[in-house]
Amino acid sequence: MKLIAGVDIGNSTTEVCIGEERRDGTIGFLAGASRMTTGTKGTLANVMGVKAALAEAMDSIGRPVSDLSLIRLNEAAPVIGDTAMETITETIITESSMIGHNPSTPAGAGQAVGTLLFLENISTGKPGVPYIVAVSSKFSYEEAAAWLNRYIPELMIVGVILQADEAVLVENRLQVDIPIVDEVRRIAQIPEGKLAAIEVALPGTSVRMLSNPYGIATLLGLNADETRAVTPIAKSLIGKRSAVVIRTPHGNIRENVLPAGELYFHGDTEEAIDIDAGADKIMSALEAAGEIRNIDGQQNTNVGNMLQNIRSQMRRVASDESGDIRITDLLAVDTLAPVEISGSLAGETCMEKAVGIAAMVRTQALPMRQIAGALTAELGVRAHVAGVEAVMASLGALTTPGTQLPLAILDMGGGSTDAALLDEDGRVTTTHQAGAGELVSMLIQTELGLGSRVTAEQIKKYPLGKVESLFHMRLENGAMQFFAESIDPRYYGHVVLLAPGELLKIEEDIPMEKIMDVRREAKRKVFVRNALRALRKVAPDHDLRRIPNVVLVGGSAEDFEIPEMLMEALAEYRIVCGRGNIRGSEGPRNAVATGLLLSYLGSREQEGGGDGWS
Amino acid sequence: MVISRPSILIYADNADEDYLRELCAGIEEEGVLYQVIPAQGELDTLAHRAAEESMLGSGIGISGCRIAMQMRPLPEGRNVFELNQPRFWQCRALGANSARAIKKMPFKAVTGGDEQL
Repeated sequence: MKLIAGVDIGNSTTEVCIGEERRDGTIGFLAGASRMTTGTKGTLANVMGVKAALAEAMDSIGRPVSDLSLIRLNEAAPVIGDTAMETITETIITESSMIGHNPSTPAGAGQAVGTLLFLENISTGKPGVPYIVAVSSKFSYEEAAAWLNRYIPELMIVGVILQADEAVLVENRLQVDIPIVDEVRRIAQIPEGKLAAIEVALPGTSVRMLSNPYGIATLLGLNADETRAVTPIAKSLIGKRSAVVIRTPHGNIRENVLPAGELYFHGDTEEAIDIDAGADKIMSALEAAGEIRNIDGQQNTNVGNMLQNIRSQMRRVASDESGDIRITDLLAVDTLAPVEISGSLAGETCMEKAVGIAAMVRTQALPMRQIAGALTAELGVRAHVAGVEAVMASLGALTTPGTQLPLAILDMGGGSTDAALLDEDGRVTTTHQAGAGELVSMLIQTELGLGSRVTAEQIKKYPLGKVESLFHMRLENGAMQFFAESIDPRYYGHVVLLAPGELLKIEEDIPMEKIMDVRREAKRKVFVRNALRALRKVAPDHDLRRIPNVVLVGGSAEDFEIPEMLMEALAEYRIVCGRGNIRGSEGPRNAVATGLLLSYLGSREQEGGGDGWS
Repeated sequence: MVISRPSILIYADNADEDYLRELCAGIEEEGVLYQVIPAQGELDTLAHRAAEESMLGSGIGISGCRIAMQMRPLPEGRNVFELNQPRFWQCRALGANSARAIKKMPFKAVTGGDEQL
C-alpha cells in the first residue's frame, strides 16, 4: 500500500492531506494537517512549513515521513493582489470660521450670537454688546466662573467657549444659564472681535440651527450669496452636539475636489474613466473593456501614483526582473473616510469621499518545481507538481456531501477571489478577481478611522459585544452574556471583540451598531460583488442560472457571516451555495490537498474526475 | 423615613484637600451627585464601604494622599482604580470614572502620560 501526500501551499496556510492507495484502486484518507505558510507563497522558504505539516500529519498516524512514496504539490495561481486607498475630496477651513465637535459634556442648551472676546480682555468689553467669551485652560473653572460672574451685571455675556473639559463645572458656578462649549483644543486661534453664533444641543439631540444654512443666515444676518458660501459649514456640523460658527469676511470652509485623475483600461477596447465617477461607473467601464491586458492611471495624479505604488510593491513581491508588471484586474469600492479638517480648532473631522482599489497582477509561473526539488532532496521522497490549484480545489470540493457536477467553487482568500467551474466532462474554467479579505480590512480601517490595520483585521474576524457592567455584556445580536468572575475594569463600557479565549478592546469610541454596519457593508461591497463577478465569468454563456452548485472554500469561507451573505445573494439565481465540507469532515479547508490526492488516480489511469474516492 | 439622594459616596480619612476638590470636580463635570463623608479606616475598606452604601453602587475612598475607586459588587480589596500621590488630572479622571461607572461609559485613562491640554 502506497502512502501519498497532497500539499497545498497557500498565501497564509500550508495544508497537507495523507492518503493510501488501496488494492482496489481507490484512495483512503488517513490524516490531514495545517500549518502557517513559511515565507511568501511560491518561494523556497515554503519548504520548512511543508515539512512541519507533513511531519504533523504522519505523526498522527504513527508513521515516519520517509514512509511516504509520493508528494503531490499544487501549481499555485500566479496572481498577487494589493490594495490602496485615495481620498478624492478634502475640506479646508481658512481663517478658522467654525468649531463643531462632540465634547462628552457641553453645558447649557440653546443658541446665541455675540462678539468673540478672550477672558483676559474682558475688562475691555462694552456694555450693551453681546459677547461670547473664550477661556483658555490657564484659568481654572473657579477663576473662570468668578471672572464671568463679576462682569455679568455690566456686560452681556451670551455664551462661553472653554479649552478644558469643564463646561459643567463652570455652568454650575455661573449666575446665568448660557450655552457653553468645551474641549476646544486650539482656542488661541479663535479670531477675537468677530461675530459668532454658538449652539449647544439638548441631551440626546444634535445641533439644529447651525447645521442648517438658513439657521446660520438667520443668526449671523447673511445675504443669499453668503448663505450659499456657508453651506459646507452647515453640512460638516450635521450630527454634532455643539458648534460655533464665526463670521469672518474672507474666512470660509470649502470643499476641494482633488485632481484624482483617470483610469485607463487596455483591453479588447480602450476605456478611460474619471475616478470621481464612482465605483459603479469604474466597474462598468472595466467590464466594457473586455479581456484586460493592462490597467494604468493618468500620470502625476492620485490614481496614477496609487497604481504606480501597487506596481512597485508587486514587483518586489514577485521579484520579477523584467519590470513588466501588468495589472489585469481591479475592484473599485466607494467609501467615506473621516479626515481631520485642515485648520480645525477642536480636531473636527469631515467624512471625505474616497475610493478603495484592489488590483491584481499576473506574475510569471511561481517556481513550484524548485520547491518540489528541495522537498525530494531533503525528505528522500519523490515530490512533483501535480496540478493546477483551481482544478484541484474543484475536485476536492466535490467531496462535499450533497454536491454534483457541474460544480463551481469560490475560493475567497486574502488577496484575490478565485472561481472555477468543473463541468460534467471534466473541463475546468477558472478566473481570478482582484479584491478579497485585505480590501475588506482596509475599508473597515478607513471608514471607522482606526489607527491600526490589526484592529480592522480583528473587527473583520470576530463578533462584537459591549461590556455593560462588570459582570455582563451585551452581544451584537442582542443577547446577554454573564460572567461569574468580574470583567477587567479596563473593558468597562467599551466595545469588545469576542476572540476565542479572550476579549479584545476597541480603543476608539465608536458605537457597536456603527462598527457592525461598517463591517457588514464592507464585506458585502467586496465579497458579494466579487462573487457575482467571478461566477459570471466562469458560468456557461456567462449565465449564473446555469450553475447549480457553488461550494465556498478557502479562508474567508470560515468567516462567521460571509457564507450567509453569499447564500442570500445567490438564492436569487436558484444556486445552491454554502460553505464546503471537504470529505464530509474538514470544513472549507483542505480542498486543494484533497484534490491532489484524488487526481493521483486520474493521472495514473488517465481519466478525469474523482470517482475513486471512498 | 430617611431619603438619600442617588449619589456617589466619598469616604475621606484625613483627605488631602486639593485631591478631594479635584475628585469632586471630576464627578461634577460628568453631571453626577456626590457626598463627601468623613470616616476612618483602611483605604480598601473605605472604598468598598462607599460603593456598598452608595445607592448608585459607585464609591471612592481617600486616605491622605491615596485614593481608590470601587464598584458594587466587587469584593473588598479589588479596587477598580487606585492612585498614590497622583497628579491633579489623575484625580479628575478618577472622579469622572466613578461617574462614568454609573453612566456605563468607557473609563478615562487615569495613569500614563500627562494630559494633552
